[in-house]
Amino acid sequence: MTLLDWAVIAAYLAYVIWDGIRMTKNSGNAEGYFLANRSLPWWAVGLSVMATQMSAITLVGTTGQAYSDGMRFVQFYYGLPIAMIILCVTLVPFFHRANVFTAYEYLERRFDAKTRALTSFFFLISRGLAIGVIISAPSIVLSIVLGWNLTLTIFAIGLSTTVYTMFGGVQAVTWTDVKQMVIIFVGLGVCLTIIIMSLPTDVSVGDGLRLAGSLGKLNTIETSFDLKEKYTIWSGIFGSLFLFLSYFGCDQSQVQRFLTAKSVSEGRTSLLMSAFLKIPMQFGILFIGVMVFVFYQFNQPPMLFNNVNDSKITDKGKLVQLQDQYTKDYESRKTAAMQLVENKPGGREAYVAAQKKLDGTKKEAVDFVKKEANDSSYSDVNYVFPTFVLENMPMGVIGLIIAAIFAAAMSSIAAELNALATASTIDFYKRFFKPNASDREYVTFGRIATLVWGLFCCVAAIYASNLGSLIEVINKFGSFFYGSLLGVFVLAIGVKRARSRGAFWGLLFGIASVWVASHYTEIEFLWFNVVGCVVTVVAGYLISLTVTDSDSGETAPA
Amino acid sequence: MDHQESKEVQEELPDSWWIKVYVAVVVTMILVISLLGYFSYHFSS
Repeated sequence: MTLLDWAVIAAYLAYVIWDGIRMTKNSGNAEGYFLANRSLPWWAVGLSVMATQMSAITLVGTTGQAYSDGMRFVQFYYGLPIAMIILCVTLVPFFHRANVFTAYEYLERRFDAKTRALTSFFFLISRGLAIGVIISAPSIVLSIVLGWNLTLTIFAIGLSTTVYTMFGGVQAVTWTDVKQMVIIFVGLGVCLTIIIMSLPTDVSVGDGLRLAGSLGKLNTIETSFDLKEKYTIWSGIFGSLFLFLSYFGCDQSQVQRFLTAKSVSEGRTSLLMSAFLKIPMQFGILFIGVMVFVFYQFNQPPMLFNNVNDSKITDKGKLVQLQDQYTKDYESRKTAAMQLVENKPGGREAYVAAQKKLDGTKKEAVDFVKKEANDSSYSDVNYVFPTFVLENMPMGVIGLIIAAIFAAAMSSIAAELNALATASTIDFYKRFFKPNASDREYVTFGRIATLVWGLFCCVAAIYASNLGSLIEVINKFGSFFYGSLLGVFVLAIGVKRARSRGAFWGLLFGIASVWVASHYTEIEFLWFNVVGCVVTVVAGYLISLTVTDSDSGETAPA
Repeated sequence: MDHQESKEVQEELPDSWWIKVYVAVVVTMILVISLLGYFSYHFSS
């Protein structure tokens, strides 16, 4: 990295913090601080919705995944447009007209304080831990690839975000999200342009895509109905549908986005922006990963992108031997790739065989590192894109793309911190401790809560960085929560006969059913959301049948 | 630049308009997935 790259990163950080803090003047009262006085335009809210969903590990991991596994991951988003339509018809007008600050506030009106507190508590715990991972994952990658100190990287990302979120509230979150999305798009656009310009003069983009396509890396539709297969069109449309319904409709970090819109129509339009743009945008990010793969057809890639375990390897001779073999395999593949580009007979078969041999040598090297370093979770997928950028991008562009990775991380973290502070203030402090405090007191508590959650998440990030498996644990914990929470909202809005006892116990049954499914079946995690939602609704309904209105004092909603 | 927008009473769009928008979303989704399928087929065959 050159001085110019450092200057670009420093300028980005300084601008974002300044831009966020200057929103403080618009955040004097509770509605201004938590909901931007319900005054934001649809396009700003829409960009904020997309920025919140796209974390740094989505950016870095998705490109790496496309490089190694192709574009199958795009199927994960096929259910999103349908989810957005369902939310526009149901929850968006519902929450707007209910005039709530949090999604869980509504559950008290429909059921009771116990159900509201339980759902809000699950949100706080799962998202609080998840932000630790959202901060730690890109920090680990950046610290290894760039040689930065890990703790400093975590605090640079976590605390800078905390500062502007704490002062500026939701307005700072939304308006910095808008600018961060611009930085991400510009960074990725420049990167893609440079990759295309770096291809050999006799190789077109179409030729490169034919190479990737011949290896199945451009497969965007997998029609087999296999519950153990992670990405198929069915898991994308049905499994993801439940996940997105829950994430966008019941997770405060997203609900708070559309609650800041000026009206129901603007809230709907902000969500439909994602419905139109999300699949093409994810395709674009995956496309960059595929083009990195094409670039490395004509430029030798590192055998291992992740060098974190280099110092633990004792048998260096074996590694050198594998590297020599890898270089030979690469040269053979390059020759085969040119034969395929030139349409020589048998070129495709030779190219596929050469790639297989190269992959075999790489796998041998990965297995060797795993064994030598005693690190069974070793993988280099997340390191492909940052390594590629650092080794191949020109001066200044490296800084721009690192700033884009920072932007992706910070946009997600800011929205989550703001949502955690809102739920802590409204669902607990206001509800149980100070119901009649002044607006100023709620804003002050919200700022303190943001700071506390920010520090908690930085510490959680340091802890998460030492325990690789924690990422998996937290992802599973999130899946336990999402489908079941969606089930509670389905009971609240769609089942007239549902009662508070049914909702409370239905939620616990739903979470328990996902735990059973995760331990005793091999179904992929996207289906957990379906299981959790269905069990919560069915159990909640059946339990509600045991409650009479005279028992509970509740009546069916009009 | 001050981003704070003045809060005004917003007129909501009628349901008939939204139904057309939802149909447009579904049609676009089918079109995009079909194009992606064609993209895969074109460069893989």
